[in-house]
Amino acid sequence: MNLDTAFLAALLLSTLRQTTPLLFTALGGMFSERSGVVNIALEGIILFGALTAAVVVERFEAALGPGPHPWLPWMGVLSAMAVGGLVALVHAVVSIRYRADQIISATAINLLALGAPSLVLTYFYGNATSSKEVVNRLPLWGLEGFALSPLVYLAFLLVPLSWWVLFKTPFGLRLRAVGEHPEAADTLGVNVYRMRYVGVVLSGILAGLAGAYLAIGFLNQFVRGMSAGLGFIALAAMIFGKWHPLGILFSTLLFGFASALAIQLQGTEILPAVLVQAFPYVVTVLVLAGLIGRSRPPAAVGKPYEK
Amino acid sequence: MGVLKDHRRLGVLVLLGGGVLLLLWYLAPWAVPHRLFGGEGVLLNPFGHHLPQGGLPPGYSDGWLRLLFYASLAWLLLALLAPWTKASTRGLYWAGFAGLLLFLLTYLLFQASVAQVNAGAERPLLRRYSLGLGSYATLAFGLYLLLLARVFSPGGLAFLVRRRGLVVPVFSLLLASLLGGVMVAVLKENPGQAASWREAAMLKLDLITYTYQLLYSPLVNPSGFLQSLLLATPLIFTGLSVALGFRGGLFNIGAPGQLILGAIAAMLVGVYLPGPRWLVLPLAILAAALAGGLWGALPGWLKARFGAHEVINTIMLNYIAASLFLFLISANEYKFFGNTLFLPFKYPGYEARSHEIRPEARIPHWTDLVAPGGELSFALPLALLLGLLGYFLVRRSLGHRVLFGLLGMVAGYVLGGLLPGPAVAFGPDLTSVRLNGAFLLALFALLFFHFYVFRTVGGYELRAMGLAPKAAEYGGVLAGRKMVLIMFLAGALAGLAATHYVLGGGIDEYRLKQSLPYSVGFDGIAVALMGQNTPLGVGLAAWLFGILLTGGLQVNLQLGISRELVAVLQALVVLFIAAGGFLPRYFTDPLRAAEVELKEEARKREAEEAKEAR
Repeated sequence: MNLDTAFLAALLLSTLRQTTPLLFTALGGMFSERSGVVNIALEGIILFGALTAAVVVERFEAALGPGPHPWLPWMGVLSAMAVGGLVALVHAVVSIRYRADQIISATAINLLALGAPSLVLTYFYGNATSSKEVVNRLPLWGLEGFALSPLVYLAFLLVPLSWWVLFKTPFGLRLRAVGEHPEAADTLGVNVYRMRYVGVVLSGILAGLAGAYLAIGFLNQFVRGMSAGLGFIALAAMIFGKWHPLGILFSTLLFGFASALAIQLQGTEILPAVLVQAFPYVVTVLVLAGLIGRSRPPAAVGKPYEK
Repeated sequence: MGVLKDHRRLGVLVLLGGGVLLLLWYLAPWAVPHRLFGGEGVLLNPFGHHLPQGGLPPGYSDGWLRLLFYASLAWLLLALLAPWTKASTRGLYWAGFAGLLLFLLTYLLFQASVAQVNAGAERPLLRRYSLGLGSYATLAFGLYLLLLARVFSPGGLAFLVRRRGLVVPVFSLLLASLLGGVMVAVLKENPGQAASWREAAMLKLDLITYTYQLLYSPLVNPSGFLQSLLLATPLIFTGLSVALGFRGGLFNIGAPGQLILGAIAAMLVGVYLPGPRWLVLPLAILAAALAGGLWGALPGWLKARFGAHEVINTIMLNYIAASLFLFLISANEYKFFGNTLFLPFKYPGYEARSHEIRPEARIPHWTDLVAPGGELSFALPLALLLGLLGYFLVRRSLGHRVLFGLLGMVAGYVLGGLLPGPAVAFGPDLTSVRLNGAFLLALFALLFFHFYVFRTVGGYELRAMGLAPKAAEYGGVLAGRKMVLIMFLAGALAGLAATHYVLGGGIDEYRLKQSLPYSVGFDGIAVALMGQNTPLGVGLAAWLFGILLTGGLQVNLQLGISRELVAVLQALVVLFIAAGGFLPRYFTDPLRAAEVELKEEARKREAEEAKEAR
């Protein structure tokens, strides 16, 4: 094993890059669950976000020519956020208004995210597995040799921001109240349904952001199934982080480190790559078994509210 | 619900349906006597045809269409008036039946017109002909009238609500199909040139109709039919796996991983265990069930012991299983901290696949079951007959009846195997379908589900856990142990799905291959929901999806629309069923359903009494 500085620097950068989509998604999941709605559709929403970002940027490039358009990747990011929010809205309507089982409704969206991209890709590119590569990716900000996508910085900035929103604003208080005891919140005049819609749509916007990061920040195209369980791992990280932004920061860093280690170990003679890839998933199972402390979910999570 | 009695409301509903019908009559083709390979058809409509190459096919006469059009208009007029008469529902019944007859007439006239041209020719001139959406709309409106008549008769709402297990999935399927049609319309350009907007609409509507005709085409052609059963086989297993979890209050998204473990175990026994057929084949099947079961029991135990939610754990175990599977068959040697580990499982060559399953451990192909050695065998029909006789004629406890049923089956199989049968030969299009004995296993799994869940104490406890876990625990169910057992059984069912692929050679070879389509485990969710977690429902839903998947291949081939259309339809069905089909709540909430039924019963009795008093 050559634990020199180059290896460690690469590992650190890789950890930050791997943590970013997890952090976005886990914070999103936190807003949704704090409002009382389980959202395992985040996995699928990441895919929809990634697809949107890649296709929007590629379509604009096809229309305007490849030449550098600094605004174009941001366009992709915004549209991914919008689509993420819309898909989450479907989950919200079905599970809040129609009182569906939240897990089943979200699973339907995940199934949709496995099939629908192929229809879109076939329509635009004639193949069912990946989009055309784009030229205008998100830029890299930072020092020479230590440059990261702006979305990486944004993800880490969101941690104190969400903490402030959740614990220091009236909105945050209401959101938490609705997830803990909707009847009480309702009695005090909080619109339970509206708070839940906001929580779920917010989670979709953040997962869309994670998708955009994957498609035009981390890679330069959409690849079928590219989220590879990120959404589920993020939910595990959220549970492990006890539905708290700071806890989520540390737990996603742990998972990000596990993935980064897996990537750095590939091609070495230390462990076979196929086994190393399973590492984050194994960590997730162990974490969920509560090996490192118990955590308590919001009391009303998963239950449809009826006036 | 008093409003439902209102004749005015009935009249408006019929009027609305009639409006849609008129629109479709105007915009959609009534018949397509010939269709080119790319999907463009000769579209006939009383308001003007769409003709791809200048004119009607030589010798074809469209005279029948005009006659039919006037008959249809007269029928529609009568149907619209029916609700406003005194005996409104009876009138609607008559109108509905008349619609069915009208459709039959359309069908016969059309077939005759096509036969007239095709009869003389050596190679049929008109191909891929079918009726069009306009005619199907006639049929649909007829059925709609019959449904309205039934619902608006006394006790009609209770009639629907009692069948909510059927109403919700069917309605959800219709909604999903409608949305799927819109998607086809958006994603696929019209195959032909249109001169007017009406013609363009006609082409679009025909495109959507043709897509669904192709999707359901396996129903009417023998090899497609067998293929649909082939694709239904693993779906039955995984659907039952998910359904068992749902019945017990657990959500098993881990069927893909359990299937992979089952496949690995089946491969290990099937390739490496020597021995006679009667021993090795059952052992290989059992190994698949056991491995899948243990992989399923793991998240069950994690939930029972640590309270870890089974949904995320089963998903994580899917990924872990996939890694394990690739680890075993993608290379022969691996480096661990500089040491080399040799694995014997991968077959030499570029592709990641195992060695071949030994002939003794293979599940026979369907031709070897139906007609071994080219002679039709009576083994299966006789086994079925004696099995049913054994079960229904023995008048003792359930256990005895099942035992006698099984004994009858074995006796029938042996006896039927000894009888000589007539020689038969199947065409290559049928023998090439790799349907195998795993389908019979799937049918047995359906029976097992029925008896275990609905006829045993264990199954009663399982359902109690699903309906009210606290009450079940108070009633004496060991909740933790039960949870592990439920997940074990669910995993075992998913593991058995692997026998179809590995031991039955369901795809192309008797091997464990990288192409193992373990995502059918996810499709099991749609199957279980569509089937409302009942064995009969799961069987039918699996077959339905088998049909659609088979048809999806044709859609891809002929229209260039991705096969994933079927996956999208499945996902939409799941979403809509989760939302209760957007139907009123008494269709999903058992308490409200009972309330409606009671009220309707009372109203029916009232109506009858009033009649008698008169």
